Amino acid sequence: MKPQIFLRDVVKTYGRFKALDRISLSIERGEKVAILGPNGAGKTTLVKVISGQIRATSGRVEVMGKNPAEFSRELRKNMGFVSHNPMLYDELTAYENLKFYANLYDVESGDRIEELLKKLRLYGRRHSRVKTFSRGMKQRLAIARALLHDPEILILDEPTSGLDIEGRLELLMNLSTLEKTVLLTTHNLSEAERLCNRAVILMNGKIVAECGINEAESVYLKHCRL
Amino acid sequence: MKPKFLEIAWKDLIIEFRSKSTISLMVLFSLVTSMLFSITVPVAYAQSIGASLLWLIFIFVGMLGYARAFIREVELETLEGLKLAPVHPASILAGKMIYNIVLMFLMELVVVPVFVGVFNMSIAKPLLFFGVLTLGNAAFAVTMSSLAVLVIKSRSKELLLPVIAFPVIFPVVSSTVFALNMTVSGRIQGIASPLKLVVSFAVILLTLAFLTSEYVFMD
Repeated sequence: MKPQIFLRDVVKTYGRFKALDRISLSIERGEKVAILGPNGAGKTTLVKVISGQIRATSGRVEVMGKNPAEFSRELRKNMGFVSHNPMLYDELTAYENLKFYANLYDVESGDRIEELLKKLRLYGRRHSRVKTFSRGMKQRLAIARALLHDPEILILDEPTSGLDIEGRLELLMNLSTLEKTVLLTTHNLSEAERLCNRAVILMNGKIVAECGINEAESVYLKHCRL
Repeated sequence: MKPKFLEIAWKDLIIEFRSKSTISLMVLFSLVTSMLFSITVPVAYAQSIGASLLWLIFIFVGMLGYARAFIREVELETLEGLKLAPVHPASILAGKMIYNIVLMFLMELVVVPVFVGVFNMSIAKPLLFFGVLTLGNAAFAVTMSSLAVLVIKSRSKELLLPVIAFPVIFPVVSSTVFALNMTVSGRIQGIASPLKLVVSFAVILLTLAFLTSEYVFMD
């Protein structure tokens, strides 16, 4: 069976700077993979390439057999993306934000929106404008936005960044129950351990190691010391 | 379910009417400029150059307002959300164009009566005048929205847009002013020619913008 996410010799450069250097990676359907690495390792660039937000300079990228840099309605409908930026409109209410995205994703909105708002404990504030929400509430709503269309692949780019401990734990709890292919970028090992079963360690734009999540800490520290 | 581009335009209009961040600025700017023109330009000349002055106001206001539809998405980092959605970039662009056309039409409803009143202009064909103005503004909105996509990634986007826009919008501006002057004087024979030019120019730019939208929206 073909892997759901497949990268071979992917390079991304910004001028002379190589953000990704010959990345090869294969992720099967249903796998939960953590991309670990220090700040500036290239984690966000990697997930942006995979999600089709930016184009790789060279190399082959395939997500569900398609190049994500080329517009594909089918592929976009099967991907959900949560990052530190919730991608929500402050002047719209929680419900309106989800309704807007539901329409873009051709989701029959009413029940699905209510279900997600209840699940993520935002139902009581569904008619409040997002600008009145705390950071944690915005992140929960961002998860609802990413799950609206029930995607097969969920990409999480440091989703807990800027959250307090309570918000972080709550978010991880919500995410850990999902049965999807998950790609998580983080520099927090404990988060990766809670959500993923495999780790890919990225440093200076290169994959330096791949291992099971239980070995991630020792492998990560070993590479950090080098 | 509305077509995607209408969803995007509707969402932008709701946000604009709630925040009033762009329209209030545009209306205020237009009114202040109208007043300044009324002080500096003798009323005797109003009949002959009024249409040109009015268009000048719309150009300045357009420069201020058109890019905002995209810049707001960039500032709020919501453009990424649109780029990730199963919406073709051409639909995003079309949504922004419609939003800008509606915004400009609302501006016309406020500014034109004030301007005509301040200058005591008499327009021989008022309905046609308003129609030509709307058509010109629509073509202008299409042009500016297409160009705005090109500058959103630049650091000085709000300054860069007028610089690249002025040479491009010249055919729209000159033809619209020509047609507007005809409606003011009432001598409308041959008005179809400048209007055809405006429409053709808008269609060409629209086609180019849609064809290149996928490339332009990507990194």
